[in-house]
Amino acid sequence: MMAPGPRSSLPPAFSADVVRVMRDDGTLDPLHDPGLADVELVTLYRHMAQTRLLDERLFALQRQGRIGFHVGSLGEESAIIGSAYAMREQDWLFPCYREFGAALLRGLPFQRFIDNVFGNATDMVKGRQMPHHYTYRRGGFASVSSPVGTQITHAVGFAWAAKIRKQDQAALVYFGDGATSSSDFHSGVNMAGVFKAPVVFLCRNNGWAISVPSERQTASRTYAEKAHAYGIPGVRVDGNDILAVVGVTRRAVARASQGLGPTLIEAVTYRMGGHTTSDDPNRYRGSAEMEPWRELDPLARLRELLLERSLWDDVREQELVAAFETQFRDAVTQAEATPPPGLETMFEDIYERAPWHLVEQRAQLLAGPRAPSGH
Amino acid sequence: MSKFEFRLPDIGEGVTEGEIVGWLVKPGDRVVENQDMVEVMTDKATVTIGAPKSGRVAELKGGVGDTIPVGEVMIVLELGVPEEPLDAPAPTPAPVKAPTAAPAAAPKAPSLDEGPVASACGDIKTSLPGVELANRGAPSGDASEERPLAAPATRRLARELGVDLRSVPASGKGGRLTREDVEAAHARRSEAPAAAPATAAPAAAQKPLVLARGADEERVAIRGLRKRISENMARSKRTAAHFTYVDECDVTALKAFRERLAPHAEQRGQKLTYLPFIVKAVVRALKRNPKLNSLVDDAANEIVLKKTHDLGIAVSTEAGLIVPVLRDADKKSVLEVAADVQRLGEAARSGKIAPEDLGGSSFTITSLGKLGGLFATPVINYPEVAILGVHEIKRKPVVRGDEIVIGEVMLLSLSFDHRIIDGDVGAAFAKDIIAALEEPDLLVLDS
Amino acid sequence: MTQMNMVQAINDALRVAMRRDDRVVILGEDVGRVGGVFRVTSGLCDEFGEDRVIDTPLTENGIVGASVGMALQGLLPVAEIQFADFVYPAYDQIVNELAKYRYRSGGDHSAKVVIRMPVGGGIRGGHYHSQHPESLFVHVPGLKVVCPATPYDAKGLLLASLDDPDPIIFLEPKRVYRAAKGEVPEGEYTVPLESARVAREGRDVTVIAWGAMLYEALDAAQKASDQGVECEVIDLRTLWPLDIRMLSESVRKTGRLVVVHEAPRTGGFAGEIITLICEKAFYHLEAAPVRVTGFDTPFPYTLEAEYLPLAHRILPAVLEVASA
Repeated sequence: MMAPGPRSSLPPAFSADVVRVMRDDGTLDPLHDPGLADVELVTLYRHMAQTRLLDERLFALQRQGRIGFHVGSLGEESAIIGSAYAMREQDWLFPCYREFGAALLRGLPFQRFIDNVFGNATDMVKGRQMPHHYTYRRGGFASVSSPVGTQITHAVGFAWAAKIRKQDQAALVYFGDGATSSSDFHSGVNMAGVFKAPVVFLCRNNGWAISVPSERQTASRTYAEKAHAYGIPGVRVDGNDILAVVGVTRRAVARASQGLGPTLIEAVTYRMGGHTTSDDPNRYRGSAEMEPWRELDPLARLRELLLERSLWDDVREQELVAAFETQFRDAVTQAEATPPPGLETMFEDIYERAPWHLVEQRAQLLAGPRAPSGH
Repeated sequence: MSKFEFRLPDIGEGVTEGEIVGWLVKPGDRVVENQDMVEVMTDKATVTIGAPKSGRVAELKGGVGDTIPVGEVMIVLELGVPEEPLDAPAPTPAPVKAPTAAPAAAPKAPSLDEGPVASACGDIKTSLPGVELANRGAPSGDASEERPLAAPATRRLARELGVDLRSVPASGKGGRLTREDVEAAHARRSEAPAAAPATAAPAAAQKPLVLARGADEERVAIRGLRKRISENMARSKRTAAHFTYVDECDVTALKAFRERLAPHAEQRGQKLTYLPFIVKAVVRALKRNPKLNSLVDDAANEIVLKKTHDLGIAVSTEAGLIVPVLRDADKKSVLEVAADVQRLGEAARSGKIAPEDLGGSSFTITSLGKLGGLFATPVINYPEVAILGVHEIKRKPVVRGDEIVIGEVMLLSLSFDHRIIDGDVGAAFAKDIIAALEEPDLLVLDS
Repeated sequence: MTQMNMVQAINDALRVAMRRDDRVVILGEDVGRVGGVFRVTSGLCDEFGEDRVIDTPLTENGIVGASVGMALQGLLPVAEIQFADFVYPAYDQIVNELAKYRYRSGGDHSAKVVIRMPVGGGIRGGHYHSQHPESLFVHVPGLKVVCPATPYDAKGLLLASLDDPDPIIFLEPKRVYRAAKGEVPEGEYTVPLESARVAREGRDVTVIAWGAMLYEALDAAQKASDQGVECEVIDLRTLWPLDIRMLSESVRKTGRLVVVHEAPRTGGFAGEIITLICEKAFYHLEAAPVRVTGFDTPFPYTLEAEYLPLAHRILPAVLEVASA
């Protein structure tokens, strides 16, 4: 168990306008505290821990050559889990690609997620995309696409449609600081402002867009202040403070639900890992700037709170890890034993019914030679 | 117990090899799944690789500092090793970890050819099949023979009718073969041209007839010379519009002529047959009728008038018909022709014919001799335009003046390609041969 | 039956669709109060209100991206791109998002959107108001591409497009927006997608065209007939998936093929059509197929009549193919 050490200093990104609930002295700011019940706090911790453990194990699986790719959320767990937790059941989430923790929180079955990283026959997206391009419509979770920012306008359209149809539904859209440079960010936030669409824009400002630091994305002092140009509220929140994230997001959902329109939330956090398993962050950043962030580890901060309130202990921690290991091992065993998707699945879902040219091409593939393995 | 070979994976950075930085296990160690086993430096990134399965380390391949190619075995694990005794303490799961410590190394600007080759994703291989091949020069293709010009539909029609487009004269724009050209060629070839509709019996012409196999038969494969003869004969009959002209020739004078010269030839060691005289008569007739000394270039749709007089002399051999070529027959004396004919015949029959003695003739003589029957319809040695068949000399009643006398009579069967040679031209040519054979003195006059 | 031009027919189709199905919304630039720059959506905002006929900010990627989200929520958006020439900012949304949403989610989601856009030249619009970029959409798996030539087909195909479960790119030939007139039934009817139409029967040469160039092809066919060459003119109507059966049957009959389109030649859709015909009916061809298309140049302003594959260029191509 990691003992909480004295905090040296806050990262430079933390200016006075950053909303925080978990103060350095261990007390909570009552103004922003969402007032979660004990059981809720434990639930959030379990989800964050599961996210962290999955990151660790999937990273290892990738290094063992058992899965092709992993994109993690190390250090950003509370920004993701906290915001997803703040959404109501009827709301929808539009993910970037780091939000598997949110997908699991919204009910994506664990086995389906592991199937997705293996791209096997029981992967919900039929092995068509790289790992971490999951989907879960039943949980109001949209489909992941790799191009940055494109999901922002989708969330706006979704929320806008709900407003047109007078249904009390909001959309939460995740994106990184890099996506604020995309035209879809501008188009989406601007339209949402004009039409007062019930959207929560959640910018995970994790400091990096692959190798490009925040100061190369924008000359704005903060990402939240961009909201003012679109005539909507912008708020900065300590992304590593799960209570602050839940509180700020809930307020944004409430605004949306009341017809007051969108909110841009900048969750100030830090990408503790590489961009993906293909990335080597040592090539572009040093360890010094990570130091203050290590002390702000969102998982450790929530665990401190739980320990303080006697909601958690070493035994529960060990049980959690052991249960996870069993669940993970079983899921991986099953995923590895599941065959790849059938050849014919390549031609499904392009159109609702395959037109003649796809019927022809499917027959050609099935009758033709198989690709050599390993390519 | 079974063994599991762990091979160095391509960890998705397009690496091809890794250097072992440090072993975290040793032979005999028990490892659990995901337990860190080895640190590997791939290009400039060092990664820790965990065990994909639980087991006991049987063997480590390579020591610290060794470079292992991707795909090579690094570690052999024994699987299914019995569990530790029950009284051993159960391992305590490690708590959920804080983010791992950052490496001590300061960031350094990478050069173009070092470090991971991808950041977002990417199995970027440094070698792939076919890449090497791309750098080889393109093979120098043989200049292929020019194909006849025709639309796809015309080509299909020709295939269905069994018409070789190279043998069909084109009437379309820019030398293109038209549907009508093909139909006309097909009609010419068939026995009843007028009656054959263009689309009749298409596939039957192409498809070989299948004969049921019986017990009381022997089957011999058609191959080698027989196959070439078969193809050449069939192509000739398919392409050329054969018409055969038969006439008789009173060679009484030639007989006497030959008998006078034979002893002289013998003195020089040369047997003298009738064939050299026939050759000279043909050469003379070819000179008077140059159209007969020609080839058809069906691809170019041209008649090739030859300036040389290289005559094919058909020789039957045990293997089959061979046509050696008597070169420059016009420049040779009767005696020289006789010598050549003898040499070629012997060479052909003994199977020792030289390549330079084959091919390139512009007219062919086939001497049917005693087996020749009354007359024949010789098949043109395509792409030549005519062939002369020579039959046995027989004593027959002939009318000379107003008297019937016994004469030495020989029949000639001349086949022409009617596409090129009109009836009157062919007949004139035949008459010229006959004239020289009936009055061999003409051969002296003209040679 | 009423006489309508194409603008009126499309307007009528939208009105019919919006009356029968309140999921249908229209969004685009200037589509609301002014009724669109070509007045195609005229009067709809008055009837259905600003929530269903929506003037959006000037953002093509935003219009298409929002349409995807609306479709996920349950609406049936008809997005208008003011000119096809302006669609490129939305190309990422169309190619990577709209066209792939069902496929990439393994069928978990689907986004049904109809994107309408005026296409083509001949209106003195120059490079930025004249392009006819069908091949950019035909090339994208997941999209269907429609291009009517007549008012009847425009209404019937648009209603069929709304019924169809897949994303549709609906190209409207603006050169004939008001010139093409004809009888259009009132109320609901559909013209099936993926079915071409024989606009003129003939035995000598098959001429394939769509949109505004259909009329040029018909004009050329009439002139060819005067010279004894009978063209079979086919109006493609749905560009993708293609009605390959009708096309190959026609070419099997005539053995000769001319394809006409406004877009630049290289990489243009005619190349794909001719390749398919070669695959399906090669040995029925009596002559090399010919393309009569725009040139591989940007669309010119002053010289647009020289650029376009009008009848004066189609006729000699037809005669040449007929006599080859």
